[in-house]
Amino acid sequence: MTKRTLGLGAALAVSLPALATAQTVTIVRELDSNKYDPPAITALAGSEALFMMGDTLVALNDDMQTIEPLLAESWEVSEDGKTYTFKIKEGVTFCDGKPMTAEDIAYSINRWVSPELKSGVAWRAGDIKEVVALDDYTLKYELNAPYSELLYQLAQSFGTVVDKDNVEALGEDFGISGFNGTGPFCWESWEPRNQLTMTKHEGYNWGPPMYGEGAEAKVDKVVWKVVPEAATRTVALLTGQADVSYYVPFIGMEKMRQAPNIEVVRSDAAFWTNFIGFKVDKPGMNDPAVRKAINLAVNREAMAEDLFFGEVDPAYTYVSAGALDYNPAVEEFVFKYDPEQAKQILEEAGWTLNGDGVREKDGVVLEPTIYSFIGEWAKTSEVVQADLLKVGINLQIQAFDPTVIWGKLATQEFDIFTMGFPYVSTGDALNLYFRSANIPSPNRMNWNDPETDELLKTAAAATTDEARAEAYGKVLMKVQEAVTWLPIYERPMQIAYVSKLAPITPHNIYGAGLYKGLQLEFVD
Amino acid sequence: MTLAEASSVAAAPAVPPEDAAPPRRKSWFRRLLRDKAAVVAMSVLGIIILGAIFAPLLATHDPYVNSRSVMTPPVWQAGGEAEHLLGTDGQGRDIFSRILYGSRLTLLIGLISVGVGGFIGSMIGLLSAFYTRLDAWLMRLMDMMLSFPAILLGLALVAVMGQGAVPVIIALAISSIPDCARISRGIAVGVMKMEFIEAGRAVGLSDRDLFRKYLLRNCISSIMIFISLRFGQVILIGAALSFLGLGARPPMAELGMMASQGRDYLLFAPHIAVIPSVVIFIIVLCANVAGDALRDVLDPRLQA
Repeated sequence: MTKRTLGLGAALAVSLPALATAQTVTIVRELDSNKYDPPAITALAGSEALFMMGDTLVALNDDMQTIEPLLAESWEVSEDGKTYTFKIKEGVTFCDGKPMTAEDIAYSINRWVSPELKSGVAWRAGDIKEVVALDDYTLKYELNAPYSELLYQLAQSFGTVVDKDNVEALGEDFGISGFNGTGPFCWESWEPRNQLTMTKHEGYNWGPPMYGEGAEAKVDKVVWKVVPEAATRTVALLTGQADVSYYVPFIGMEKMRQAPNIEVVRSDAAFWTNFIGFKVDKPGMNDPAVRKAINLAVNREAMAEDLFFGEVDPAYTYVSAGALDYNPAVEEFVFKYDPEQAKQILEEAGWTLNGDGVREKDGVVLEPTIYSFIGEWAKTSEVVQADLLKVGINLQIQAFDPTVIWGKLATQEFDIFTMGFPYVSTGDALNLYFRSANIPSPNRMNWNDPETDELLKTAAAATTDEARAEAYGKVLMKVQEAVTWLPIYERPMQIAYVSKLAPITPHNIYGAGLYKGLQLEFVD
Repeated sequence: MTLAEASSVAAAPAVPPEDAAPPRRKSWFRRLLRDKAAVVAMSVLGIIILGAIFAPLLATHDPYVNSRSVMTPPVWQAGGEAEHLLGTDGQGRDIFSRILYGSRLTLLIGLISVGVGGFIGSMIGLLSAFYTRLDAWLMRLMDMMLSFPAILLGLALVAVMGQGAVPVIIALAISSIPDCARISRGIAVGVMKMEFIEAGRAVGLSDRDLFRKYLLRNCISSIMIFISLRFGQVILIGAALSFLGLGARPPMAELGMMASQGRDYLLFAPHIAVIPSVVIFIIVLCANVAGDALRDVLDPRLQA
């Protein structure tokens, strides 16, 4: 069967156009985006390509802490923390040759938060009073309240600078039939669910300093190829049809490391947590004892070893210990595998076994429904199901295709759900999931707590790092103490690439491991 | 006129199958046993069916309990353990036990859907041949149903009813109806033209008796052959639906679903996908061979 798969891979290689010319880098990935319009797209599949085709005001260093200049050369923050004045680089041009000015940036930011666009991530831009270009190379970004995370958010792909003429000319087709950006690569063509082709942006030399002064794209073309089947992605790299990917399944990583023609780099500071969340107001799930027992019953050590082939570390905290504003005190509320204690907690809370071996209390039977993604998540859910059955919880799995699950997850039909998400900091994660304004989605836990909302506001408006860290730390403590999630694992960033490529440093911004793509280079 | 009537009446008793059946039944079984391929196919199918029925007794492990020994190869391969005859899957569950439970569900889905679909379909076919006024209406309805793919129907039903074996059974049963109706109508139309039907009418038999004793009995063997051939197809479509993640709900085992889950391990532990696929292959092949053999010995038109 192995041979057959390889044969299949080889057949696929023949059908692909001859992409293996020296100056084209082929990246294989799992999913495509439905369009490439920066503020409208929250999926990694959109961001990872937009980082290459466009630029943001500022960039994030691969240490995930330092903000670097990108389109903004330098910036000043007013005393009250409400006004940011950016000095914009001169000589930046769009792919069509038009010069980029502060006016374009102001347009892009205002478009991001405009009510007509209905961007789900408008909140990330802060509570804006006014964003205007004072002259061609000065931008004033004024907020109603201080927002300590502004620069981190401005480094995300949502604020990618777009060209007003291009947006207006293409209308509904913007980001579908074309995209005029200022990034190191330019949009060439896109076949949805197949491939996105980018060409080198001639004259690009304003990349972030981490890539070296005046860094430019070193390959002529970048092709993002969609290969949904995990095993086929593995084969594509092994057989040289693809050059680089961070979508290699865990099962294939060992083989990648052994392959003489493949290099693997890894970063553990990826800030990507996979978790299972509980709707805290549903019958059964509204009992903290049940949520705690679930955490104790699931053997995440074993899962990391067996299901994920030892490629991940089990997660017990809601955000990575390396993330900005992480509060080490949450380790008090860490629930490691202890099925006996889980049973005991359930017994004490009055959940007794009925005739079918399932726990029951006041007519409520512990048979929660989990809405799960298909693929890896469905397997994870099955393991969780098997572990929970041992303590008398009968989990009902409903697995959905990526095309329908997002709609399903915005409903109140389920008790438990699966989710993985990238974040830049603790605040990023908490604002996304625990603000009551974000119910029912992305706050699918229905976590409705005025104190949390208040603390999140305090943190966002904090003008000192300490004040912000304290407020976020409190929220983190609160939600972890209330056991709103079952954290599964922290996904490391692992990039596998062919040896003829120059060494790559994994970046972790929003899970986009190659970030600007300025490191992609062939060596002979 | 009187003479002609009398002769038909005289001819009638010879044809109705009650009298002809006993000697034929004996000989067809003997002839079936002479077909070696059929004997092998039916014995293999029988073993699988027995295995499925007695799964709880035969299974060496609980098919739903995971263990820490994952991706163990089958016993005949290097690294295999005697404890797990066919190895374990990606979650450390015993494949042999899962196959037993899985074929149980697979066969059950096949049997119920082909039984229900076959019954409804053949009734529609026979009725439209019997009451010719209904014929055009019923057959156009069947044409419409024929143009609707089973997989699509399954997808639609799962979207409405949620994932599970029941929507798959319904989809497969519905998709079996038009095929069966078409075949049985074809046979029944032929039978309806026979003289004994006319004779039955002439002696004043009720529609009910005519339908049951004259038409149905003359068509039943051909319909059964068709249904037995259809069984293999239904199993295959059912496995395909499960492969797409529509059939059984985890942790239940189903052969198509097991093959689908093994797909991710294909490069590293091919047995996880190959073993359930081989079992599906064997079931379908045996069902087809047995169905063919049955047709050879039962179909009166082939005996000339």
